[in-house]
Amino acid sequence: MPASLERGAGGERAFAARLLDPDCAAPRGLRVPAGGSADRRFSVYRNNVAVGLVATLAARFPVCRRLVGDAFFDAMASLFALQSPPRSAVMSAYGEGFPAFVAEFPPACGLPYLADVARLEVALGRAYHAADAEPLGPAAFGRFPQGAWGELVVGLHPSVNLVASPHAIVSLWETNTRDATVRPVAVAQAEDALVVRPHLAAAVSVLPPGGHAFLSALATGVPLARAAEEAAARVPAFDLAANLVILFRSGVAATARIGAAPL
Amino acid sequence: MRNNLTPHLIAATALATAFSAALTVAASADDKPTEKCYGVALKGQNDCAAGAGTSCAGTSKKNYQGNAWKLVPKGTCEATVTPTGKGSLSPVASR
Repeated sequence: MPASLERGAGGERAFAARLLDPDCAAPRGLRVPAGGSADRRFSVYRNNVAVGLVATLAARFPVCRRLVGDAFFDAMASLFALQSPPRSAVMSAYGEGFPAFVAEFPPACGLPYLADVARLEVALGRAYHAADAEPLGPAAFGRFPQGAWGELVVGLHPSVNLVASPHAIVSLWETNTRDATVRPVAVAQAEDALVVRPHLAAAVSVLPPGGHAFLSALATGVPLARAAEEAAARVPAFDLAANLVILFRSGVAATARIGAAPL
Repeated sequence: MRNNLTPHLIAATALATAFSAALTVAASADDKPTEKCYGVALKGQNDCAAGAGTSCAGTSKKNYQGNAWKLVPKGTCEATVTPTGKGSLSPVASR
């Protein structure tokens, strides 16, 4: 910011407001070389800010961008950036509100799964930047005595992020991430996503039936038997064995202890 | 007590059976996971992107006001199959 600009919070607010409104003239007090136009030069700066924010969103939401195409995404992202400029200097955290914006964005209403795909991409970024922790494997779980299995209180890995969706968001994400030519996806197939980064790489997978309810219950600190019953009550097709396989081997669990008896 | 409201849908024996079966599966599959699980390491997102894509044209209006209300998604969403058949673009394209 130039030294001659109005000092203080008021001056900064005015600068920021003009930065986001292309119809505003440049802020007062900008110093330009002789013959230069403050408005034109400020427009260059303003444009770079917008391009940078759109590029940040494009980096965080590559699958959404591929789904709708670059032109549509960039226009949508720039409207979001105008409405929700960054609140933090940490650009990796920018875009948390983008899925909600997409969900309410009328031109995207024909793509009802788009917002959930965006939520999945937010989850990936969160998992990627979450704290490290050594995951528990099947050997660790196998050391508990059988009589205590139902009473195990499991601490989930810090990188665990769950995204439930009535749409096939994992299949959409997968083919748009891996395939040069996307394969057709039956979008009405509900898929609940698990995102976890047990070591260095974040992984996305589809949870078995009831998995979202089961892991969500475990996250509240209830013992394993209780979590299983809550999941079974909410999802009749709950598959306990399949969900335990996920729990034991995908890096979802970081701690386990024998908690208070559930009854 | 909330516990009393939850019907006991899973017997202790069923839990024990599922638990030991899952331990076996998880241990044997430890080296070669068979579930769909794709890793992704995000590309560095902390570059200072002052290079490509940064426009110094000075005409910010174009970038700011791309009129998305008239835009139609033109990405891979056309390969998406909806319950009403292919063509999730139709509601948008009819505009």
